[in-house]
Amino acid sequence: MASQPKVPDHVPAHCVGAFNLYKSPEMRPTPFGDPFAAVAKLLDGPSVFYSPETTRDGQGAWIVTTAEEQRNVLQDGASYSSFRRIFSSAIGEDWPVIPLELDPPEHGKYRSMLNPLLSPKRVAALEPFVTAKAVELIEGLKARGTSAEVMTEFAFPLAVSVFLAFLGIPDDRLMEFVGWANELLHMGPAERTAAAHKVLNFLEGMIAQRKEEPAEDFMTFLVQAQVEGRPLTDQEIRSIAVLLFIGGLDTVATAIGLDLYFLARNPDRQQELRDNPAIMPSAVEEMLRAFPSVTPIRTATRDMDLGGCPIKKGDLVSCPSMASSRDPAEFPDPNTIDFNREDNRHTAFSYGPHRCLGSHLARREIIIALNEWFARIPPFRIKEGTAPVTFGGFVFGVENLVLDWS
Amino acid sequence: MIIKVDREKCAGHARCWALAPELFELDDEGYVLPGDILVPPGQEALAGRATRACPERALSIGED
Repeated sequence: MASQPKVPDHVPAHCVGAFNLYKSPEMRPTPFGDPFAAVAKLLDGPSVFYSPETTRDGQGAWIVTTAEEQRNVLQDGASYSSFRRIFSSAIGEDWPVIPLELDPPEHGKYRSMLNPLLSPKRVAALEPFVTAKAVELIEGLKARGTSAEVMTEFAFPLAVSVFLAFLGIPDDRLMEFVGWANELLHMGPAERTAAAHKVLNFLEGMIAQRKEEPAEDFMTFLVQAQVEGRPLTDQEIRSIAVLLFIGGLDTVATAIGLDLYFLARNPDRQQELRDNPAIMPSAVEEMLRAFPSVTPIRTATRDMDLGGCPIKKGDLVSCPSMASSRDPAEFPDPNTIDFNREDNRHTAFSYGPHRCLGSHLARREIIIALNEWFARIPPFRIKEGTAPVTFGGFVFGVENLVLDWS
Repeated sequence: MIIKVDREKCAGHARCWALAPELFELDDEGYVLPGDILVPPGQEALAGRATRACPERALSIGED
């Protein structure tokens, strides 16, 4: 008989919910699934509830569902700390990835150093590269036939090569890096530890090389950067490099995949974009709202009430972006995907000081990917006899996405 | 009409600037400049839309 999941003593029974981000039926790998619809149903319930075993390593957490309460949590770094050691603990070390696992005001000094590199104006300079890469990949798979598994043949190679170019890493080992990201983000503890070592060894090699031979890239920027009037320490450099490496590997590809998954099953929505290509930026924002992939988690720094629930110092507080982005109080008719939606203050890139550093590059990449796809590929659908598989968990996504345009 | 800017809450989403670059100016980090913004006549509707696009609720409409 399975043992009952543990609920801490301070959590009243009426605050415990049945939903689990990893184990609920639609969160597990599901052919033709819609994990977002499953999370959206949480908005019919309380704004905060306790979910046992709802993190990757099986810890319980408070799940916050509404936009307003998530904003309260994520804007308040004093009450809800980002202090975690997810990457370094995998290799038996104890240091934060920077700036993700730091709190204000410490967080701000690194963030200010990095923000200009990924500001909306700066990422515009990367557009020609993104476009050229997208065109090359799409023309390549068109030349090979009238169907393709777009995650491995388009979304991942595009997102990863853009990111590697930004960091200054040659893309001849691209699919190897994608494998590392998959092991880090989606597999068990043993794979995670092995992958963390591989990422770190690789980045340390890069850092040493850029110290010897500076280039025009992000790694060189890091080894030359100053914070508080001094150069970054080697530990700070690897902590930042790790974050940027991981951050760029998975989520942009996931977003492109989830958009194509939706569009492949909705030919009328494809037609809408073909009839009016100018709405693509707004359509991409709407699909970011409808299919966001990330769940920020914080640790309470004191005892407090949140949404009528007693949060205790040390409790984990989980803010799934796919819940707040379907909050009817924030988005009228939240489960309707409206490419012309106004006031689309979605939460795909989180709230507060930890707003996704790469958000402006990410949205440009997704827009370019879909623009070039629509310009080159006729109406497309899921290839008959294949079944895309969706999943929830740490980073939501889709795999085995075989599209057919014959 | 003015747009009141709560600079402490700005997290650099830049949705205001994306909708209305003529009304909002960003600093080098991509965050909105501090200080109220005077809305030129005829741009009130745009100002309202850009204000409502802020995920952080850092912007609000006020009277000048």
